Amino acid sequence: MKAKHLVWIRRICQAFFLGLFLFLLVESRLPEDAYLQYSLVFSSDPDLRLSQPITFFFQLDPLIWLSSLLSGHRLIHGFWWALGLLLVTLFLGRIFCGFICPLGTIHHIVSWAKPALKGDLMTRANQKTAGHRIKYFLLIMLLVGAVMGLNLAGLIDPISLLFRSLALAILPAIGVGLKELFDVMAASDIKALNYLSYGGEALVSPVFGYGYPAYKTAWFIGLIFLVILFLNRIRPRFWCRILCPLGALLGIFSRFSILGLEKNHTKCTDCKLCSGSCQGAASPMPGQTWENAECMLCFNCFDACPEGALSFRFRWSPKSNTRPDMGRRAVLGGMVAGISLPLLAKLDGSAHHVSDPRLIRPPGALPENDFLRVCQRCGLCMKACPTNVVNPTLAEAGMAGLWTPHLIMTRGYCEYTCTLCGSVCPTGAIREISVREKIERPIKIGAAYVDRGRCLPWSGNGPCIVCQELCPTSPKAIYLRKAVVPGPGHAPMPVDVPYVDLKRCNGCGICENKCPVRGRPAIRVIAAGESRSLKNQILLTDSVS
Amino acid sequence: MEPNHPITRRQSLKRIARISASLAGAALGVCPLLSQSSVRAATTGKRFLIEGIGSEKGYKVNELTGKVFEAAGGMGQFVSKGDVVVIKPNISWARRPELAATTNPEVLEAVIELCFDAGAKNVRIADHTIHDARRCFALTGAGIVAKRTGADLVFPRSSMMKRMKLHGHRLDVWPVFVPFVEADKVINLPIAKVHGLSTLTLGIKNWIGAVGGRRSALHQDIHQSIVDLARFFNPTVTLIDATRIMITNGPSGGSPSDVAVKNTLILSNDQVAADAKAAGLFDHDPGKIGFIRLGQKWGLGTYDSQKLIQQRVIL
Repeated sequence: MKAKHLVWIRRICQAFFLGLFLFLLVESRLPEDAYLQYSLVFSSDPDLRLSQPITFFFQLDPLIWLSSLLSGHRLIHGFWWALGLLLVTLFLGRIFCGFICPLGTIHHIVSWAKPALKGDLMTRANQKTAGHRIKYFLLIMLLVGAVMGLNLAGLIDPISLLFRSLALAILPAIGVGLKELFDVMAASDIKALNYLSYGGEALVSPVFGYGYPAYKTAWFIGLIFLVILFLNRIRPRFWCRILCPLGALLGIFSRFSILGLEKNHTKCTDCKLCSGSCQGAASPMPGQTWENAECMLCFNCFDACPEGALSFRFRWSPKSNTRPDMGRRAVLGGMVAGISLPLLAKLDGSAHHVSDPRLIRPPGALPENDFLRVCQRCGLCMKACPTNVVNPTLAEAGMAGLWTPHLIMTRGYCEYTCTLCGSVCPTGAIREISVREKIERPIKIGAAYVDRGRCLPWSGNGPCIVCQELCPTSPKAIYLRKAVVPGPGHAPMPVDVPYVDLKRCNGCGICENKCPVRGRPAIRVIAAGESRSLKNQILLTDSVS
Repeated sequence: MEPNHPITRRQSLKRIARISASLAGAALGVCPLLSQSSVRAATTGKRFLIEGIGSEKGYKVNELTGKVFEAAGGMGQFVSKGDVVVIKPNISWARRPELAATTNPEVLEAVIELCFDAGAKNVRIADHTIHDARRCFALTGAGIVAKRTGADLVFPRSSMMKRMKLHGHRLDVWPVFVPFVEADKVINLPIAKVHGLSTLTLGIKNWIGAVGGRRSALHQDIHQSIVDLARFFNPTVTLIDATRIMITNGPSGGSPSDVAVKNTLILSNDQVAADAKAAGLFDHDPGKIGFIRLGQKWGLGTYDSQKLIQQRVIL
């Protein structure tokens, strides 16, 4: 096959998979027209589900599979895709990096659209350096850490990182910007502008999010993403060459690749065009030893060579490839870091003492230690949540739990009959539950308590009871008692005051969310009483699940 | 269970474009309605109150709806040819219809069909829901009704809540859900439920779902607030869905044991009379319910049954 054809096949594949990733990412929310069949409306407790969840990309990712397996001893649903990819990598090399990885494609586009360097400088920048070993260090640290019970893979796994960055930072940033523009237009007195705004918002919100999507620490997530993109100015595909732990894993597995670069020394005129165009700094030049673990199979060198000195061939005779150059220091360092980080991570006390009261996990979340072992912090649950209540943590779960999901009730609330987050979780850190299970068991995520000093009726500032009205359980967990409280000027004021029945409260937080006292509402939810934890209980019961 | 996707993206985009265009066209001739105390002219003609009861087993809800409107002289009395009709059901909770937290979709569907039969150009379903609107549309059945009848389901966006002067006794300026002020005719289609603060939630209380802003603060003077809203929105006609009513644990419910089947529909062009009649289903004295008393006081209507033409339809 001609080099040009190979390069075009690669580009088409890259465009297809990037497009698919972006499409599925955008579709990872309830559509406006998620209509149920008429008969289903009347059947009991239907579970609304996404029709096209993006889980495929996570199932394809061997790092997610391996880290969940080593750390949480769980086989994630659909893991054979990852297994298949490893098999393919064994024979074909890092074809995922060159053809499929959406983050790799974005780096490829950025590197190509604005080349970091020119001519000879680029050739020199594309030489292999010791920095390439950093990714092996990171991989070994992640895997050893996973065995020790600390799973940080999702922080730098390319699929998790890309989904998190786009879904929680980039798309909402654009969406809120557009929404503000539409708001200005809608507030105008010119009717045509009003209608343009309604139409525009109807078109834009299914893509960028409804209302004003907001995620805690999103600015930081977005900033990191922009910095990673900027690194392409230093070296093309800096991330893929130097940092990506998935690339390192696939590099190791490409050891027996039968697809190899054949170099013809006699034809080479030493023009170095191959090195100048190499995306992986894999030493394609005749005279150097080709690094098959670094090669991302972009076929640029093959295409660039004017003399036909390079070609990719299947080598059926078992010809040993070069070993991935990991470096002893990277291996040892990775192991030391992998052993010490899990030990350090326990020092904030969350593993053995009572956790942060604000750490309210989504319904169906595994017990905390198991949860942290499999959660990839991809942000899919946060993107799917229709009320925007699921947010990334900063310090609530300790540093070991950075960017794992927790619920902020002032941002949203957990809708009583919604079970969407568990249905999209790629690793099962949040179990898939049914509405029936959520209501009947019940699955509690926390417990509400009334802050009487702030509560309008309790403090003698007037009637309210919004919390009781909205409490979704039957019978209501928030109930009212008639009371006479001292109002302004000591005048007795008859009011209904709210109480919380902890046995019934499931911690959904709609009371906190809709309380007229904003910011720090007069009724709040804390994690105590969550049914996933044996420790974090309030009442003496024998039915803790 | 997979959600059904009968509407493709292309179709919904087309529909959006159509709505925007027709809204724009309709609005060009209409001057802004920003400072009226009521968005429509006061009800003319005799005040009537019609109660429809489905006593037979297996009666058809849509037939009962049709009969009730027939008794009032047909939908043509309320909807003229070419009208844009906006219906305000209560679809605030993402609950299945059986739990009686939301308006029965069969009644909604029947009313929409009657509107189209009467020559309505466009029928819109609008409610500023409490739960997530997408989930409410799907679970209450409003979504599939809209799809089957060709009515438009208006997604409650914050930019569609426009501050307007209500000239109320309690509420002066408040954000209002725009489709209601831009409609030619408005039909209020609440469900009858108990409520912790206002005793009952019927037609008048349903208007909380037609405004935006800090709605939870309205509870601090709920009776006067909702009467102000009802005066402002002044529907062409009110049909209270009491096919199933919520008798306890309202207004959210959540259990079939919170529900009583009454097979009743109450139609009136008098908001107070409709609510007073529905209060009877709960064995409440209308005169003791704040918003009904205030409604009569401020001239919204009457709960004195002597002043009404009353009719009863039994199927």
